[in-house]
Amino acid sequence: MNIANVPFLWLCALAVFVVIFIQSIIYIRAARKAAPAADMTNRELNQSLRAGAVASIGPSLAVVLVALALLTLFGTPAVLLRIGLIGSAATETASATMAAQTMGSALGDENYTAQVFAIAFIAMSISGGMWLIATLLMTPLLKRGSKKLSQVNPTVMTIIPGAALLGAFSMLTVTELPKSSVHLVTILASATTMTTLLWLAKVLNAAWLKEWAFGIAIFIGLVVAYLAHTV
Amino acid sequence: MSTLTKQPSDFTAFEKATSRWGPITMLIGLVLSLLGPGYLIFFTDLQLSFGQIGAAYAAVASAFLVFAIVEPLTYFPILGQAAMYQAFMIGNISNKLLPAAVVAQDTIDAQPGTKKGDLAATTAISGAAMVHLLSLLIFVGFLGTWLLNFVPENILEVVRLYILPAILGAVIVQAITTVKQPRIIVIALAISLVIGLIVVPLVPVLAGFATAICVALTIIVAWLSRSKNPPKAVSHIA
Repeated sequence: MNIANVPFLWLCALAVFVVIFIQSIIYIRAARKAAPAADMTNRELNQSLRAGAVASIGPSLAVVLVALALLTLFGTPAVLLRIGLIGSAATETASATMAAQTMGSALGDENYTAQVFAIAFIAMSISGGMWLIATLLMTPLLKRGSKKLSQVNPTVMTIIPGAALLGAFSMLTVTELPKSSVHLVTILASATTMTTLLWLAKVLNAAWLKEWAFGIAIFIGLVVAYLAHTV
Repeated sequence: MSTLTKQPSDFTAFEKATSRWGPITMLIGLVLSLLGPGYLIFFTDLQLSFGQIGAAYAAVASAFLVFAIVEPLTYFPILGQAAMYQAFMIGNISNKLLPAAVVAQDTIDAQPGTKKGDLAATTAISGAAMVHLLSLLIFVGFLGTWLLNFVPENILEVVRLYILPAILGAVIVQAITTVKQPRIIVIALAISLVIGLIVVPLVPVLAGFATAICVALTIIVAWLSRSKNPPKAVSHIA
């Protein structure tokens, strides 16, 4: 599968990474300028940046492990492009499977030729692009709508974001609950660890623990999942 | 907080900068992500026909196109305009970026939806984006094929199967401690349990829309049941 590793695909993948990096820099600089207007100190801004970075270490390593499993199917540049940009291992694998089926092939079988790879990669890229297009088209409209809404009644902004956040995460969690007893135990282990660590962080007044709690809870959750899965 | 707060227009500058550079960077990302496919179509001898591509994309679109539209709608109320352009470029929203934003908001005690909460979310997502890029670049891009020989198959399997519950157990706790509104917490949990354990098993077609439905219902019920007492009490005293 040499076609999956042509230099041009590597260039595209690296260019996408550079664009995301530049975007982050632009956003951080804009936030730094705006911080005083939001009653936010420079220290709090740095704390947020660090907290976000530290909190994403656990999920990032997990994404890396899942991405590794896809390397043999798609080659490194395609995996970087699809997982680095919008896209999760699950969605991309499902997309590629469906695309390969239209070519009478399955991922990794003897009919999985360079041509099938190319068709699957193209279909995945168009599909992923749709999220970006939808976001580009809808965000300005949604912004206008929410601005109007908060002009009519300012209390909406004290209710909607929190309600949306809790609605999203409680639904995502409840969806995982009935999948298997291991899923259930994993959720409980992770939630218990998190509760304990956040409580400890409060009692000991340890801000660093608050930042690391998330990563530790994921790790404990996975260890418990490993034990429950293999025993 | 500080005596430096001379220009109150600072925050509109943030909105201006992000509403200009957010879409521009996202558009560049979109174009770059389509250059690779374009190269394979026009500059290789793989003889790919547009018929094949159309059929393959139609199959994928039948499953995923609707989510490309529903997900931005679902996450807008949480992310706000600025962070939308980050989140939907980078992806991994529910398992990486939003948790990072919530951890940051909790760390500096900022409420989601406030200016401070928005800035905390944006900087946290930027921090998470850096870690995302670095980890993928180093461990997948440079060391990937080599690492593949060392990581045991069964560990990859466990991570693939259980990473989501391991993340969500911790995130839901963090979200509850950040939002600190018991009424909304109860509403969200009740609605998600009803949808997840009763509605979806009865109407499996709805499974893919569960999160969007739950977000919408939680917002509506939380809004309708909001306490109207505090403002009244104030006006009484006044």
